Amino acid sequence: MKKRLALLVSVIALTVCLAVPAPAADKGQVIVYNWSEYIPQDVLDAFTRETGIKVVYSTFESNEAMYAKVKLLRGKSYDVVVPSGYFVDMMRRDKLIRELDHSKLPNLKNLDKKLMDQEYDPGNKYSVPYMWGAVGLAYNTKYVPKGTLTRWNHLLRPEYKGKIILTDDLRDAFGIALRARGHSINSRDAGEIGEAYEFLAQLKNSVRVFDVTAIKQALISEEVWMGPIWNGDYLVALEENDKLAYVFPEEGAVLWTDSFTIPSGAENVENAYVFINYMLRPDVAARCVEEYKYSTPNLPALDLLPEDLRKNPILVPGPAELRNAEFITSVGDSLAEYEKYWEKLKTLQ
Amino acid sequence: MPRLPGGGGSAFRAFGISVTWFWLGAFALLPSLALLLVSVLDRGELDFFIPALTLGNYRELLGPVFLRVLWDSVRLAFFSTLVCLLAGYPFAYHIARARPKWRPWLLLLVIIPFWTNSLIRTYALILIIGAQGMVNRLLMALGLIDAPLVIMYTDFAVFVGLTYTLLPFMVLPLYASIEKLDTNLLDAARDLGAGSLRAFWHITLPLTLPGIVAGCMLVFLPSLGIFYVPEILGGAKNMLLGTFIKNQFLVANNWPLGAAASAVLTLALILMAGLYRLSSLRVAGREKKGLLGGNGDGKNPRREAANLPEAALR
Repeated sequence: MKKRLALLVSVIALTVCLAVPAPAADKGQVIVYNWSEYIPQDVLDAFTRETGIKVVYSTFESNEAMYAKVKLLRGKSYDVVVPSGYFVDMMRRDKLIRELDHSKLPNLKNLDKKLMDQEYDPGNKYSVPYMWGAVGLAYNTKYVPKGTLTRWNHLLRPEYKGKIILTDDLRDAFGIALRARGHSINSRDAGEIGEAYEFLAQLKNSVRVFDVTAIKQALISEEVWMGPIWNGDYLVALEENDKLAYVFPEEGAVLWTDSFTIPSGAENVENAYVFINYMLRPDVAARCVEEYKYSTPNLPALDLLPEDLRKNPILVPGPAELRNAEFITSVGDSLAEYEKYWEKLKTLQ
Repeated sequence: MPRLPGGGGSAFRAFGISVTWFWLGAFALLPSLALLLVSVLDRGELDFFIPALTLGNYRELLGPVFLRVLWDSVRLAFFSTLVCLLAGYPFAYHIARARPKWRPWLLLLVIIPFWTNSLIRTYALILIIGAQGMVNRLLMALGLIDAPLVIMYTDFAVFVGLTYTLLPFMVLPLYASIEKLDTNLLDAARDLGAGSLRAFWHITLPLTLPGIVAGCMLVFLPSLGIFYVPEILGGAKNMLLGTFIKNQFLVANNWPLGAAASAVLTLALILMAGLYRLSSLRVAGREKKGLLGGNGDGKNPRREAANLPEAALR
């Protein structure tokens, strides 16, 4: 009996220990959940030095993984999250992110109006653009003569079989396929989405691997000859393998925006505003561009960039590069249609 | 367990037992039950699942997609296990038969790779089997091939990764049972005229069978479930079970289907553990009847060998 009692007591003691809530989060921190390789460490260090706010930083590799986690935590536990455009739309519908007080973000004035007020978040009530970029086509000129690969449709050439790495991002991949078939990247038409699937199913015969994080490495090490890749990733890869070329395909590149948001359950909201406003400072934005080579919506930051970066049409695409290009935005309920085909594609033999 | 002086032993024991039960309950039983529960719920639009009972998830698993995934995974796991066994047995045998002062060092060499995260070791494999990896560079330098062999992003790469990662799990239980083997039995067999092959077949193999079964289980089951090895080394063509489950949770947002697939995997594990238990009981039963030379003095080597890996499994 005594033994049983001791057993019971220790079980209860353990349970109580675990059930007592952790002490309230320290006032002086901001918890940031961001894409990997997106903010240089020295920027975070400088932020802490200037403001005294500690940054707790964690990263994700895909919108879907980020969304699942934030949803599971019901918008709690993070203070700043950086989803892509159409996920901003989903997350505001799910009430996972909160409406922003623009008066706390004076540096908003630095941002390019052309990248604001998009369909996924009219009036930028919930999100503030951090970076934008393009999915273009990278290829190795050692195997593919320069200038011979200019269209998404060229990927279907039989000689490229087994030489292609394809992005594992649903909307990026469908964006490519929809442009290749002459449709809008944000099509909600079941027939058009089906056509895009047919393109991808045909392309899959040539695809060696689906990936997001290892695209750079696969191209650098010449494991594959070509693949759609974010422009920033390409510029970083180019530093390691100068045989790589990049093209904005004629049918149109797929453009995306990633934005700062504050989750609805954030505990350090004021610090989150301080952090976002800091990231919108021209010198900080310029430093991020230098490191990761994505395009910034921050107009004054462009002037601070070294000339070779500012004049680089891959980093700062002009009208010629962006012909036929389109931004990814929300597709509403049609996303389920996309997901259905995506799963079908992934399990296709 | 040694009793502590002053009657503290029973309290300590109770504490130890309750920690164990708490641990198993909180981190093994509860999650498994939750998984089982989600697997019979319906998929929701706004939530990951809604409280409506259904067997639809299991019905969906019976479709051609999952069966294909399962078949590919089982096939790959089977060959990985087979190669681990064929490589691991002589490996363990030699360590167990090495001079006693060498054994701890040899075992240490088996264990050292564990000190590095297996994810990192998997990435390191790319440096070896990649298009510009060591293997291809060597073969090209020797003039044996003109263009790099395609190894990365194939089933073969996954097979290499699984075999490499899981080999120690085969070696350790095998070592435990081979080391316990009573060499007197082998001497006796030789005295009675058995060749070394025959002695191996009739004595070593049956006596180390529990180690073989334990090692195979420790390799086969993880190779079905590990998702990062196929994720990093595998290609677009064949999706494996671990990736399928991961995708249901993270990409397709279909938790009930992912949970059902996990439940099937867990069920397979329980079934195999049951088979293992059954086989070791049969070995013990045969011993009791003295059919295989047990002498009943309580120091039966086979009995010890049979118990050891089982304890290691728990």
